[in-house]
Amino acid sequence: MIYKNIVCTLCGCLCDDIEVVTEGGRVADAKNACEFSKSKFLNHAKNRAKPIIKKNGELVEVPIEEALDEAAEVLKKADFPLIYGLSSTETDAQRLAVELAELIGASIDNTTSVCHGPTILATQDCGAAKCTLGEVKNRADLVIFWGCNPAEAHIRHATRYSITPRGLYTESGKRGREIVYMDVRETKTSKMADIFVKVKPGQDYELLSAFRAAVKGYDVGDAAGVPSETIKRLVDKMKSCKFGVIFFGLGLTMTGGRHMSINAALRLVRDLNDHTKFTIIPMRGHGNVSGSNDVMTWCTGYPYAVNFSKGYPVYNPGEFSAVDILARGECDAALIIASDPVAHFPAEASKHLARIPTIVIDPKVSLTSLIAKIVIPSAMAGIECDGTAYRMDGIPLRLSKVIDSEFLPDREILKKIIEKVKA
Amino acid sequence: MNYMKVILISGRTVKQGTSLEMGKTSEEYSNNVAVIMMNENDMKKIGAKEDEHVEVRTKFGSAVVRCKESRIDRGIAFMPYGPWVNMVIGADTQGTGMPNSKGVEAKILATDKDVSTIANVIKWIKGIK
Repeated sequence: MIYKNIVCTLCGCLCDDIEVVTEGGRVADAKNACEFSKSKFLNHAKNRAKPIIKKNGELVEVPIEEALDEAAEVLKKADFPLIYGLSSTETDAQRLAVELAELIGASIDNTTSVCHGPTILATQDCGAAKCTLGEVKNRADLVIFWGCNPAEAHIRHATRYSITPRGLYTESGKRGREIVYMDVRETKTSKMADIFVKVKPGQDYELLSAFRAAVKGYDVGDAAGVPSETIKRLVDKMKSCKFGVIFFGLGLTMTGGRHMSINAALRLVRDLNDHTKFTIIPMRGHGNVSGSNDVMTWCTGYPYAVNFSKGYPVYNPGEFSAVDILARGECDAALIIASDPVAHFPAEASKHLARIPTIVIDPKVSLTSLIAKIVIPSAMAGIECDGTAYRMDGIPLRLSKVIDSEFLPDREILKKIIEKVKA
Repeated sequence: MNYMKVILISGRTVKQGTSLEMGKTSEEYSNNVAVIMMNENDMKKIGAKEDEHVEVRTKFGSAVVRCKESRIDRGIAFMPYGPWVNMVIGADTQGTGMPNSKGVEAKILATDKDVSTIANVIKWIKGIK
């Protein structure tokens, strides 16, 4: 079978033009896909998880229902359960995870807390002048990448949205766009840029503040290793472009200044709107991490780091975010769904997951599944089950099922756990 | 023994991203993720050649990985996201939820120690000696 216009759920670009060829219940080819996407589609059947529980100190394979019963028992007994992950699944499963969190009085957090959590903190403080990727394609003549590396993390971003595509008012494609790249090191993205500006590590806030001062007409000195002439030249470009956009990544969110650096970036964009049209978009990583923020916000009022122990949602990143809860050793059970914290959290946080009964719902053998007491295999969203995912600019796209799976989708697994907890 | 003080940053690479889809217990994943990328002069200073083992030490922990030459400035080193860099990153989020995964001060020195396998990393996380 050939399926056209399939959405890839690997990164926040959610490319929706993948042509998937299936043969004998496997994906045989994924046309138009980038290296990551091809690897995801073609390896979907490899390294699959099995239903496992720890019995008498030994991990044993069990029927799926037994793993679900055990998971419900663990969650019912827990005084302070943590539900974490959600970024690699679809929105129905995300909604049910929130329902389960409310039912058991859990803390619920998504992978935002370790990617663009600081972006949300800054946006809550000062707002963000955003736009869609379609507007970037059709209008942007100045594109700034800051602290991100799309050539290695969002591989088709450049060709679909930001550098080469020809759009309504960008008929000449790359020739009509100026590309600026700000980072602490040369990467594959620097080769795609017209101007590469090397920033001293950890000094983005200083540089962004210097840009803001220059936009307001003040004389500025050198900042973050960038000469004042370069700052002035770039500010002239920013003020005189027709439609500018800053795409920023974890180079801003994961360094010392965190939300304060992003706050400065959001305010720079706001200031630039006194002169021209300027926008800013975070380069969201996982396929539906953006959806996890939207779903949690619809359901609880808050995008991540929410606690239900009082019976109503309380939001406090730093207190109810997963790394903090784990590093302080507070939770006494964890349900990890559609993410792999042991591969991405500081080891100190992962060690607590190994000490408590951790339940993992994942299509594949993840590093977290190797330290878990209960593993529940699931169908892969966007390949083996349908649903909805949100692109990095907040646009929802429909995911398709192209392969039948022996496993249940995340949403069915969560429904069953909820029923068992209520029983 | 010569060591080099660096600012350690972590991030995604194409090889890390594609090999994790093959499986995080695969040899490809370990080969592509248990590495550190350094400036050639920094490698010379500590006496490490391409693919030789180096120990990365921070105040949070240490990890042994293979060394790769890269076009990165002196004094900066890069490790792909994964369990090896997790061993040298602290869990303090300063009230934000986000640990400092980029910009950590580290010492790098050449070593004869082996790179930990995924199985050993998992044992270490579980507290099994």
